[in-house]
Amino acid sequence: MTDGALLRVEGLVKAFPGSRSPIDWLRRRPASPVRAVDGISFELRSGEVVALVGESGCGKTTTGNLLMGLIPPSAGRVVLDGEEVGRLSGRGLQRLRRRVQMVFQDPYESLNPRMTVSDIVAEPLRVHRVVAAPGPELRARVERALTQAGLTPVDAYLHRFPFELSGGQRQRVVIAAALALDPVLLVADEPVSMLDVSIRAEILNLLSALAREQGIGVVMITHDLSTVAAYADRIAVMYLGRIVEHGPTREVLANPGHPYAQALLSVVPVPDPSVRRRPVILGGETPDPSRIPSGCRFHPRCPVAFDRCPIEDPPLFEVGAGHQAACLLVEEPARPGPVG
Amino acid sequence: MSVLLEVTAPTTAIEPRRAWRSFLRHRMGLVGAAMLVLAVIVAVAAPLLAPYDPYESVRVTILDIYQAPSSAHLLGTDDGGKDVLSSLIFGARVSLIVGFAAAAIALVIGGLVGIVAGYRGGWIGSLLMRITDFFLVIPDLALQIVLVAIIGPSLWTIIVVIGALGWTTTARLVRSQTLTVRERKFVMRARSIGAGDAHILRRHILPAVLPLMLANMVLVISLAILSESTLAFLGLGDPTVISWGQMLNFAFDRGAVSAGAWWALLPPGFAIVWVVLGTTLLGTALEDALNPRLKRHHLEASGTDVARDRDVPPLPVPTAGDTAPILRVRELSVEFDGPRGPLRAIDRVSFDLRRGETLGIVGESGCGKTTTILGLLRLLPPGGRVTTGSVWFDGEDLLGLDGGALRSFRWTRLSLVFQGAMNALNPVRSVGDQIAEAVRLHAPRTTKTEAARRAGELLERVGIPRRRAREYPHTYSGGMRQRAMIALALACDPDVIVADEPTTALDVMVQAQILELLGGIARDMGMGIILVTHDLGVVAQVCDRIVVMYGGAVAEENDAATLFRAPQHPYTQQLLLSFPDLAHPDRPLRGIPGAPPRLDAMPPGCRFAPRCPHAFERCRVERPPDYATDGGRAACFLLDPTEEAGA
Repeated sequence: MTDGALLRVEGLVKAFPGSRSPIDWLRRRPASPVRAVDGISFELRSGEVVALVGESGCGKTTTGNLLMGLIPPSAGRVVLDGEEVGRLSGRGLQRLRRRVQMVFQDPYESLNPRMTVSDIVAEPLRVHRVVAAPGPELRARVERALTQAGLTPVDAYLHRFPFELSGGQRQRVVIAAALALDPVLLVADEPVSMLDVSIRAEILNLLSALAREQGIGVVMITHDLSTVAAYADRIAVMYLGRIVEHGPTREVLANPGHPYAQALLSVVPVPDPSVRRRPVILGGETPDPSRIPSGCRFHPRCPVAFDRCPIEDPPLFEVGAGHQAACLLVEEPARPGPVG
Repeated sequence: MSVLLEVTAPTTAIEPRRAWRSFLRHRMGLVGAAMLVLAVIVAVAAPLLAPYDPYESVRVTILDIYQAPSSAHLLGTDDGGKDVLSSLIFGARVSLIVGFAAAAIALVIGGLVGIVAGYRGGWIGSLLMRITDFFLVIPDLALQIVLVAIIGPSLWTIIVVIGALGWTTTARLVRSQTLTVRERKFVMRARSIGAGDAHILRRHILPAVLPLMLANMVLVISLAILSESTLAFLGLGDPTVISWGQMLNFAFDRGAVSAGAWWALLPPGFAIVWVVLGTTLLGTALEDALNPRLKRHHLEASGTDVARDRDVPPLPVPTAGDTAPILRVRELSVEFDGPRGPLRAIDRVSFDLRRGETLGIVGESGCGKTTTILGLLRLLPPGGRVTTGSVWFDGEDLLGLDGGALRSFRWTRLSLVFQGAMNALNPVRSVGDQIAEAVRLHAPRTTKTEAARRAGELLERVGIPRRRAREYPHTYSGGMRQRAMIALALACDPDVIVADEPTTALDVMVQAQILELLGGIARDMGMGIILVTHDLGVVAQVCDRIVVMYGGAVAEENDAATLFRAPQHPYTQQLLLSFPDLAHPDRPLRGIPGAPPRLDAMPPGCRFAPRCPHAFERCRVERPPDYATDGGRAACFLLDPTEEAGA
């Protein structure tokens, strides 16, 4: 798979300096760093949609910011088209910004209320001096981006302000602005979580069409497995800064190897009351990333943890073709069920 | 009351056209603008308007001094025998020049300090703000007098001194606005596009800050004019030019009062008041229109939130009994005041809720789910009122209650859980305290220790360790806050809990925890629960019955199993198709094209007709009534046995 990879993430780590409470300070305890992203690797080919799935605090948004080059990694590499993102600065970084674009979560907040749709979509072109001055060329590119994002007829949108548009239309404007620079990679951070269910499908269909038809790589960051199930080629489930399960969407959904992925799948609401499932509802919430548990970081919440789990930090084991899970039970399937 | 804040959450953004309309509403602002414009015209056209040239030296005799108003000197003459009217007209020039020039200086300094402090932040920002604070506390006038006295009174000295001391309010205003805009998502998005500081400042920060600076400038102008007059009156004006303050100074010093020459005193005083009043009125109106934080809602409270038509007889009281629903909503309609008459937001909504039952109300946003709840709880925002129907709660019509009875009812028999629990918890009191307070409100004779013990129990019931009762809401995670809200709702031991989007914005795992908790409460404590949500998966999981709302009316109602197995209304069908289903991950999702109708553009026939794939002629002209379905009802002509299309 290494051949022809558009994006290669290798052992990516991002640690933020932790904050010290006054008690820490009195006891002269050093601040423990917050390892928001703790060694993740994955690849993405052109035209592929990869979903990073996990609860808040799992590091998926930090991963997105690392991919965008908005923050430098503490260790590891992000390689886009053979170029290392974290090493870039100045012109190189500017060039990267043109090729990687972000789609934000909140279409109500991420558009400047004082700018018209055409100004918003033209902004990236002008920032990068692709088209320096207003004129027919700028207009043509803006219209093309709006068309790609499905805002047609463009004349009906060009001079509107964001407040005149619905949530779905606004998210299309955000996507159009991202497309204006002909990016090769889109990072979409919860692109539909603020939208009504009835509108989500359009936006997701649009993103997957962009991947399929224009060969744009899409990294979709979300907490909701169900929204990406029909759109992602591959799913990477994250927990506390690690990818704990990774594989082709169908494989992961049908045969999840990691207990966390199994639990996450089991609680996804199914719109059919006749399906009586047994949801595995995990107690508590994702722990504080400044205090990552020993061994397998999931073991305190894991319903099937056994004696090796608090001691050994499991690597990714093969579950099937291209499908891996970081659970000792994959290595040792003969283990009987839950222990504690 | 946080529910009202959520419903009418103001948009912080104010775009130009709306600001203009909002400004026009301020009549006093227009008056102020007219007053200021008049003063400017007078100043500019002074040589044309003034009957004499006050700078011309003329020979005066003793008789020329303090002449009373006459046809030759409309406002009389002053101590130098000069025409007061002409001095007054030329004085406008100096006052306005000082005002505008000093304000411009103040604005440049204040704007720069504010933007740098707000945008850069860090130690530079702190330093700049400390300097600002320093300038803010020293008395302006005293320093102005000292400085002018040291440097020597010339027009430019006065301008610079007033300008250099008058920038502090601008700096503080600009800084706070810059800080707000800098943190907005659209600035983050611009940064991720690759925009540099210059671009962000020019395209995003300045356009948001400039209108505020404009409004502020007008106020600074009035202060500067006032300062100049004060300095001139105290004899620190530029002696070579005529200003209003100077005129007052001369008149006072040279015996105008003892000479009874009121005409030398009143006109300049009046002119100062005129300009300062004009700028203040204009500035206040501009500030009100342009400063998002001062924006008010222009909805007027209609005085009553229930205005049912008297001609319609109230519906019969349902007979109470063990199997009777605890809550019966009948034909509930809600109207809001629109710019062109009332708009009907909720149209004849009816449903029942039994004890121990969980009822789901679903639909897209803008379909009236929350408004229905607010209407039946009598919590409508100003401008909204219930116009028809009744809400029977255990045999009592909620819409007939008033004041104290309504309040105690809401507290003790029916509790609310909202989305965004942080807003509903008091940040400065511990969670346990707040729950204990609610317990005592319900049962006033409970002792404090007893209430605290009960609060601990309730927290444990919702899965929060008792020891965390002493902690404050900010130490709780989002999921725990929502649990605490549920504990708070349970504190009064209500018959019904209404939960409005209780799990939106929560992670799926936390959502599952909260839903399990709510389900358990309905089961174990026999409460009725109304769950308002746009998420079909959530209702499928926990609800017994489901009401689907569209365009402010009930589209379909049925028990959960039937509704999901055999949806009858095309809206329900479409909604189900748009919902992702992991049981069938390969099924492509279909969105519903279009959007729910706006209140002021309701389709005349069936409200869903414009988006309905099965709509036919009758749907576009006639409102469908409810048709009985297997176990429920649906408002769709396809179910009319006389319609062939329904076959």
